[in-house]
Amino acid sequence: MSSQQAVKFLTIEERLNVNAWDTDIYRPHIKIKDPDKCRFCEKKPCTYMCPAKCYVQQGDIVVLSTEACLECGTCRVVCPYENIDWNYPRSGMGVWYRFS
Amino acid sequence: MSSKFDVVVVGAGPAGLAAAYKLASAGFKVLVVERGREPGSKQVYGGRIYAYWLDKYLPEFRKDAPADRWVRKERISLMSDESVTTMEFEVVKPEKSSFVASLAAFTSWLGKLATSAGAKIVTEVVVDELLRDERGRFVGVRSGQDKIYADYVIDAEGVNRLLLERAGIVQRLKPEHVAVGAKEVLKFENRKVLEDRLGLSEDEGLAWAFAGWPTEYLPGGAFLYTYRDSVALGVVVYLTSWRQLATPVYDLAERLRTHPYIAKLVAGANLQEYSAHLTPVAGISMAPPRFSYDGLLIVGDTAGFLMHAGVLIRGVDFAVASGVLAAETIKEVGRPDALSRYDDKLRSSFILRDLLAFKNADKVLSGQFAFDDMPKLVNAFLRNYFTVEDRPPTVASALKTTMGEGNWSLAKILINTMYALAYL
Repeated sequence: MSSQQAVKFLTIEERLNVNAWDTDIYRPHIKIKDPDKCRFCEKKPCTYMCPAKCYVQQGDIVVLSTEACLECGTCRVVCPYENIDWNYPRSGMGVWYRFS
Repeated sequence: MSSKFDVVVVGAGPAGLAAAYKLASAGFKVLVVERGREPGSKQVYGGRIYAYWLDKYLPEFRKDAPADRWVRKERISLMSDESVTTMEFEVVKPEKSSFVASLAAFTSWLGKLATSAGAKIVTEVVVDELLRDERGRFVGVRSGQDKIYADYVIDAEGVNRLLLERAGIVQRLKPEHVAVGAKEVLKFENRKVLEDRLGLSEDEGLAWAFAGWPTEYLPGGAFLYTYRDSVALGVVVYLTSWRQLATPVYDLAERLRTHPYIAKLVAGANLQEYSAHLTPVAGISMAPPRFSYDGLLIVGDTAGFLMHAGVLIRGVDFAVASGVLAAETIKEVGRPDALSRYDDKLRSSFILRDLLAFKNADKVLSGQFAFDDMPKLVNAFLRNYFTVEDRPPTVASALKTTMGEGNWSLAKILINTMYALAYL
């Protein structure tokens, strides 16, 4: 193992893939209450404050996918319009941290 | 399901489990309700646990708690765009005052301790609500249709205190209360490679804090802790920074890992886990109005019991101690309407003493000086001092050049140094 070898920047998708998950895709635990409100949100902080990139801007709306949510709660706190209905996943679902 | 326990604890983290362990040991019928698959499976922290108060409150940890490496070496690095200035501190004789461990492993150990004392832990159950009776006393918890009743409820739900918010005890979390940490666990080929790279002998640990570049000079910082054959590398940013941050949070830890200075240390180590969590940063100013109510005690991160003083960050020892004090209160008062003794115990313990002593730390740590001006200034000065060209620099000339390069004002530096001395 040489310390000179190049270090490749891993995308967030590649990094999330190494985690252990038990995902409940049918019952998302987080919802955007009123998606129309996001159109008027200038900075859309959820799209870059979420450490798992669950929120992606498409045009002037925000698309949320909760499958790779790390359950930190950041989005709920930074949403300037309190427009996020946030809960924990049911019955043991979601991310399973083993080494952190 | 309808059942009755003496105590129901929400959350199998260090605070909840410490309380459960002590109460079960005293003969109470204790149920711990945990949303994860097992204790620890939803937890993230930086990486270090301080031992001093654990020795007083949970001395059992010395026997067989999973401590990967005892910290012998401390590093503080100030990073600018162009250079890194590092201060290293190492004790000559190894001592056992803080250790690095995975929080999943530590919590799992504490869970086994609590279970062996007789506590029952149910996992994969999310608590939706704290139940109260008609007089307002807390009498149990609800999960979906299921209600569990108990004489005492201990809320150890963690930093996202949904239950306390729903009970009307605290306001919604605000950006100024918390920071988000994103962390990578990087596994080396073997422990020897890790030790060689970081200058450690066998079993010795390193705790490393970074300020400046990793957070784009915004409040927060970065860390590197050494597990046995892996390292925890992470970045923490205050949620108040959401207007200024250019790099998305999801790339901050990876941006640090691939920085040339870090990349050469962790090259070849493979990503084992990528995690994120909120951490309290406001200390006592995000605490609920009281820590005890009729039938309810609030412990750990839920209560804001995390000491954040820049480089010194302590959560697990505060969590464990608050859990133990909650258990002692229940044992001593023996009735759910006299739990205010817990507040008294907290006041006369290190928990509230230390949190109050550092209650203004945030003034220094959320300002621009500590994470922006200082790392840039120190690096610029040393660069000017170490650059030997036509006329060799003196300390005075390097300082003069540095001051002329930026908008530094000596008065500002002195004022901020005074703040740091007063509040940290």
